[in-house]
This record gives sequence, structure tokens and C-alpha cells, in this order.
Amino acid sequence: MTINVNGVARTVDVDPATPLLWVLRDVLGLTGTKYGCGIEICNACNVWIDGSAEKSCHLLIKDVLTVKIVTVEGLATNGVLSKIQQAFIDEQTPQCGYCQSGVLMRAAKLVSGNAKPTDAQIDSAIANLCACGTYPRIRAAIKRATGQAAVK
Amino acid sequence: MTEQMIKNETESVNSGFSRRSFMAGSAGAVLAFTLESSMPGSVAQAAGAATKIGGNLTINADNTVTVAFGGAEMGQGIMTGLAQCVAEELMVDWTQVRTESAPWTQSYITGGSFGVRANFLAMRTAGAQARDMLIAAAATSMGVAPSSCSASAGVISNTVNSQTRTYASVAAAAALLTAPASPALTPKANWRIIGTRANRTDIRGKVDGSAIFGLDVQVPGMVYAAVRHSPAIGGTLAATPKLPTGATHVINLGNAVAVVAANSWIPLDYCAIGISSTSSTWRDGIKWTAPAGAAAMTSAAILTTANTLMASGTPGTPLPENIGTASATYTAAPKKFEGTYQVPFLPHVMMEVPNCTVSLSANSAEVWVPTQAAGWVAATVSSLTGIPAANVTVHITLLGGGFGRKIEQDFVAEAVKVAKVVGKPVKLFWPRDEDFSHDQYRPFGLIRVRLGMNASGTPTSFQARNVSVSPLFQRGWIGATGNDNVDGLVGTPYNIPNKLVEFVRHPSTIPVGFWRSVGESMNCFAVESAIDEAALVAGQDPVAFRRALLAGKTRELAVLNAAASMIGWDAGAPTGHAYGIALATGFGSLACLAVEVSQPAAGSLTIHRACMAVDPGMAVNPTQVEAQMQGGIIQGLTSSLWGKTTFTNGKASTSNFNNVRLMKMSEAPAIQVQIIESGAEFLGGIGEVAVPPVAPALANAYARLNGTRVRTLPFF
Repeated sequence: MTINVNGVARTVDVDPATPLLWVLRDVLGLTGTKYGCGIEICNACNVWIDGSAEKSCHLLIKDVLTVKIVTVEGLATNGVLSKIQQAFIDEQTPQCGYCQSGVLMRAAKLVSGNAKPTDAQIDSAIANLCACGTYPRIRAAIKRATGQAAVK
Repeated sequence: MTEQMIKNETESVNSGFSRRSFMAGSAGAVLAFTLESSMPGSVAQAAGAATKIGGNLTINADNTVTVAFGGAEMGQGIMTGLAQCVAEELMVDWTQVRTESAPWTQSYITGGSFGVRANFLAMRTAGAQARDMLIAAAATSMGVAPSSCSASAGVISNTVNSQTRTYASVAAAAALLTAPASPALTPKANWRIIGTRANRTDIRGKVDGSAIFGLDVQVPGMVYAAVRHSPAIGGTLAATPKLPTGATHVINLGNAVAVVAANSWIPLDYCAIGISSTSSTWRDGIKWTAPAGAAAMTSAAILTTANTLMASGTPGTPLPENIGTASATYTAAPKKFEGTYQVPFLPHVMMEVPNCTVSLSANSAEVWVPTQAAGWVAATVSSLTGIPAANVTVHITLLGGGFGRKIEQDFVAEAVKVAKVVGKPVKLFWPRDEDFSHDQYRPFGLIRVRLGMNASGTPTSFQARNVSVSPLFQRGWIGATGNDNVDGLVGTPYNIPNKLVEFVRHPSTIPVGFWRSVGESMNCFAVESAIDEAALVAGQDPVAFRRALLAGKTRELAVLNAAASMIGWDAGAPTGHAYGIALATGFGSLACLAVEVSQPAAGSLTIHRACMAVDPGMAVNPTQVEAQMQGGIIQGLTSSLWGKTTFTNGKASTSNFNNVRLMKMSEAPAIQVQIIESGAEFLGGIGEVAVPPVAPALANAYARLNGTRVRTLPFF
């Protein structure tokens, strides 16, 4: 089977019923995408499927053969961080960092389609669970990336 | 481990910098100079060469420096804070600093909020030693006296001739010199890096996906294992189950079964509940032998026992605190308050599940693990394999949350046992539901507080009795004295002349451990709720009541007044809203939190604002102090509102995020943090102190909102 990950065709030899999450991590070594709950609640495993943020823990590999998959490793271009990634650095957003790949996939999606997301839109888009409590800095980073005054 | 144990260990680690003490010390030293490099200077100057100038400090060929540290980076910023201390004295710019993990022999337990405060002087001294050695080597190379030299941004210049030397060019020669015993430390007025908002060294990898947590480790030839434990804690496997389809091994671990395969998915699918239906036949067919005394591991029975012990239990001796005549004063007091508060068993809820990767050879072992106690990992491996601890290499990965859970050795031991059977490198991990159902929980407890007051409502006696399950007793480390379980009851800051603190150990065998802020997480809720309740009895405003009890305590008054000011206490809350406040002291720091709440509908609670005034003595990195306050407040809100695990015949109520609720972005309040630096060079810890005041501030606000006093956590 061949899947398209971060613009590259990758051939994988796995059970077709294997979730995408574990193919990315174990087979392709793209470990930025995380296992958090396995039951589609925490959003740590978010990737883009044809531009939409989806939970890779329940997407079977056989069902993603014809789509474009983007992982957190694909957010930067030739080593240059995307604007939202740089904003996460500038706001020093991650603490432990484990949930942040999933957060970034949703935040990047939000800012790509919304020039000035409101607080309510940020609340709605960032459905990720973060045990460290980085929410204030996620909000600040999204505002920074979209040229809005930081909320301190 | 108690705070004192960690402190003792850290101090003994840092008590000397001689080569002898480093080489002999099993716990290891922070940046002690082993001077182990004997690389000739000519080689060091070759392209691409790096010189390890000290045990934990490497001068790289590109004139950057890499600081190795022996703690656990779990988001609290310790890696950065400690590197700032080294860089300050080493006279390099922050952009030249890299960080890495040190070998376990130079590691220490990361806990008790000791990471930066206990190593502050040691790290600075190490940086200063290296600086002086580099300057001495450069002076020789330039043909001038060291006294004519100075260093800046990793370049040494002198006032005699026009020559300069980079650190990289003289590192090899410097590494052969003797480390000065007492190098001059930079005065605070001249600090360039300590106290600044230096960017963390671990953030870049956490935004581009390259950061390696324990679960991300990949080793050539590795296989994957997941575990399923007896649903009832302490139960055992009645028989080894048949091999699941696709797996290579099914291993009887006594209290658990491990499944091994060529990828993560097969063992996870078989061991996890709720993840898919394909494995339920296998999993449900496993026969477990119920643990002895299972009925006692039921929450209702545990509460009944606690109530009995509260009423008639015998406190352990020596009493944790006994000043004056608290009991008699209370009996005779014209006004009094008594309240009993209840706190639940609480799961840690780390986003990264417990995991450990082990590779065993005939007489050596290599381990990759997200651990708060690398030395204990080496001991665990050694005890299970017979391999000398000196032959065990422990790679401390980044931790996807720890909060005290990743100090434990249960998951490490399982990985070692499975690796022994499989004969290949193994990465063992717990499914999410195994983590939430087999945690080593924050203890359940009851805390009764009695306050006696005189006729004008001034407290004259304070008594607290804590009945709770003891992590230290379960580990055989203490008897009946309470220890960690009474942190936050002993040494309360209030000027009350008579104080009595008692501990009665609850005998429950539900496994308990160390949860961010440990005893303070239980006791601050009781004490600070009781202070508000006593203020009500006295007919006084809670802030004014506290102010009067803190006369002369300038640090405590400063944070109290700052938090009250930030929330707008004196002006009062908007209609339909209420303010609550609570003060926590611990880990060498002070934290006072004021919150604003409203209740739009029964069974709900909206937290609008949280204003934290924190006095860490001195802030090594203000950004990280603020981040720890923000995170601690949100974790405290989560646990106060929803956090608990209950048990039925030893089976936990919690399994995954469908029954463990975390606060979400949309529910988090606006948070304001004010840092008050009261110390000259005194440092408190900041990783834990934000958590304890949250529950009582919330309960106090709730009581002022609608007259209902919450004495049992969680709220919902």
C-alpha cells in the first residue's frame, strides 16, 4: 500500500486495518504524531487529511490511500517553521509538549482559513486536551500568528 | 521520597566538586568536573571536534556549549533554568547554549520542586570553574597572565596584546587543568542571563515534531509490548492466556499479562479497553484471581474506616506539630469552628502513558525512559537482571508529563521482565486505560480542622488531624508519623499561639504516590477553606481576617495583598459573581490565588478570572514562573472540579478521557500572574506551589457565591 505523507509517496507493508497513527509512528518513524487516548477524545493524534484536521488513531490505513496526509513534521517548509510554529516558540507555548503536535495541527488549520480568529473561534477550534494547562499560551500564539494583540 | 530526602540527596550530591567525590558518588554530581578529557589540543582544534571539558559540559567545535543536566524535563523548564545558571558564569551568550541529558550517575530525583533551587549554586559554580579554566588555557596560549584576560560570548581577549581565543580553540588544553575550588561568581547586579526570559532550549523540537519522548524511542531490532493488569488491583493472572493473533509472545507477569508484537498496534489493540472490538474476546477471556481483601478496596468502606479513625484513631508519634495548648484552648474558646474536609484518590493524568524501552546484553543494559528517577531505574534493572548498576546506561528522554507518576518503577520493571523473555530490545507501554486504572494515586484523606477564637474572633488555637493513606508507609520508608501527608498543616504561616497537628495513617492498600504538590494538595484545601469558614464565624472579611493573622509576615502579606488587589477584592465582585482567595506556602515559595466565579446554572461553575501572586524568592526565568502558575492553576481547577478515582472491590472507576475530565481551552479562565521577588538570592520552587491554593480559592468563592460550602472534592 502507498500513502501520501507530507507530499511524499510512502509504501508500507502492514495490515490494512492498522490505524494511520501507528503506521506513521512505528513504520515511517514520524513520531511527532502522538498516542494519547486511542478513543478519539484527546486530539493528540491529529493530522491533516486533505487539509482537514482528523484523529489518526481511528483512521485505518486502507481508508487513507487516496488522500494527502500532513503531519506536524510537514508544517515546516525546508526547515523553515510556519508562522504558527514560530508563534508557539515566541510565546513559549509548550510545557511538556506531548499534546502540542495535535494542537499545532488544529491551530495551523485555524489560522490558514481565518485571518483574525476570535476567542470563541479559538475555543471551538482547539479541542485538544492539555494536561500541563498551556491554553493561555496557545491562545496568545494564535493571536500573535494572526497579528492580533496578545492577551496577557 | 520525602522533600527532606530529596533535599539531602541533592545537597550531598552538590557538597563538593572534587574529582574524588564525583567519581565515588553513586548519586552523582551536577556538572562536577571530572576532567576526563585528555584530548590533545591539536586534535581538539580539528574540524568537527568537541571537547568535553567537564563531566557535564561540552565545548563544541562551533564554539557553542552543551550543558548536560541530570534532571527530568517534563515541561517545567528545569533544563533551561539550570543551563541559564551555567551560561551566566561561563560568559557565553544564550544563543550559544545547547542542552542534553546527563548519565544516570550524574542524575537526581526530580521532585519536590527542587530542580533549580537545589542546584542553583552548583550550576553557577560549575560554569565559573569552566570559565576560569578556559581563561587560564587561553592566557597561556596568548602568552599573557590570566588576570589580563576576560571572556565574552565564548571569546577570550586580553589587555596586553591584540590576540583572542575562542573557547573551542582552548577547550582541550583547559580540560587538562585543575578546576579552581572557589571561582568568583558574578554578582547579581551584573547578571545577563539569570532572571531573564531566556527562550527554552526544548521548545523547537516540540513544535516541529522532532522532540523525542519515551514513547517515541526507536531502537534497531526493537519489538513492542503492551500490558493489561488485573482489573482489581492486586489480583493475579489465573493462567497464561493463549497467544493473540499477530503477536509473538504472551507473557505472564503475575499481576499482568504482556503481549509482544512487531508493532505497537497489535499489543495495544489486545490490551486496551474501548479502542476497538477485535480484541475483546481475547481480553475478556483472561481469568484473574481476585486479590485478598478485595472488599476492603471499595470507596465506601475506605471512607467508613477513615471516619472511624478520625473519631477514635490514635495519632502517630512524635506529633508532627505541637505548640502550646491547642486542645485545651479550643475547648475553652468562646467562638470556635470545626470542619472536616475530604479529598479523593486522584490520578496523575499525564498525556504520555508510562513506557520504557530496554535492551539487555549479557552483562550490560541500555534503557530509554521518561523518568523522574534515573538512578532508581538503574537499580531496578540491576535488581531484576543481576547486571551491575554501573553497567546500566539510562537515557532520560523528555517526559510527556510526569506530575510525580514517572518517579515510579512499576512500568520499568515490566519492561525489563519482558525484555528478558523476548531476548530483543523491547518498548513496553501502557494503554491509556491501564494508566488511569493502575495509577499510584494521590492519597484519599480526611482532614479535620478546629480553630478556637477569642470573643473578638481572633484565632487562639489551630488543630488539624489528617487521616490518609501514606505513600511513604506503603514503601516501607516511615512508620506512623505522617511526613509528606502533613505538609501544609505543619508550619502554617498564621500567627496562632497554639497549634496541634496529628496524623492517623489509613491502612488502605490502594496504591498511592506523589502527586504534584503532594501533601499540600490535600491540606491546603482544608486549612484555607477552614480559615474562610472561621472568618465567617468571626464575622470578618476573609482577606482582613488573614491580614490580621499575618502581622509581621511581610512575604505572606505581600502576596495576599497583591492577589486581592489584582482581583479587585475591596471593590467587590460584579453582581452574580463572587471572589475567593487562598494562600499556599510550600517548596520555599508563596502563592496566593484569587478567583472570580459565577454559576450560570445548577451543577455548573464558570471560572472567569484567576489572579496569582507568587513569591519564588527570585525568578530565574520569569516566563517559566508564569507558565508554571498558569499550568498549575489549570491542573488545580481540573482536579478540584472533576478529579477523582473511586474503587469497587479494587477496581478503579477511571479508565480513559471518557471518564477522566480535563479542563479545556474554552473552560480555562483568564489568568493574571504577578511575580514578587522578595529574595536577594533566595530561591523557592515553582513547579508545584500553584496547585494547592486552587481548590480552597474555588471553594471559598463558591461559598460566597451561593452560601454552599464544598468540603468534599471534587466539586462535581
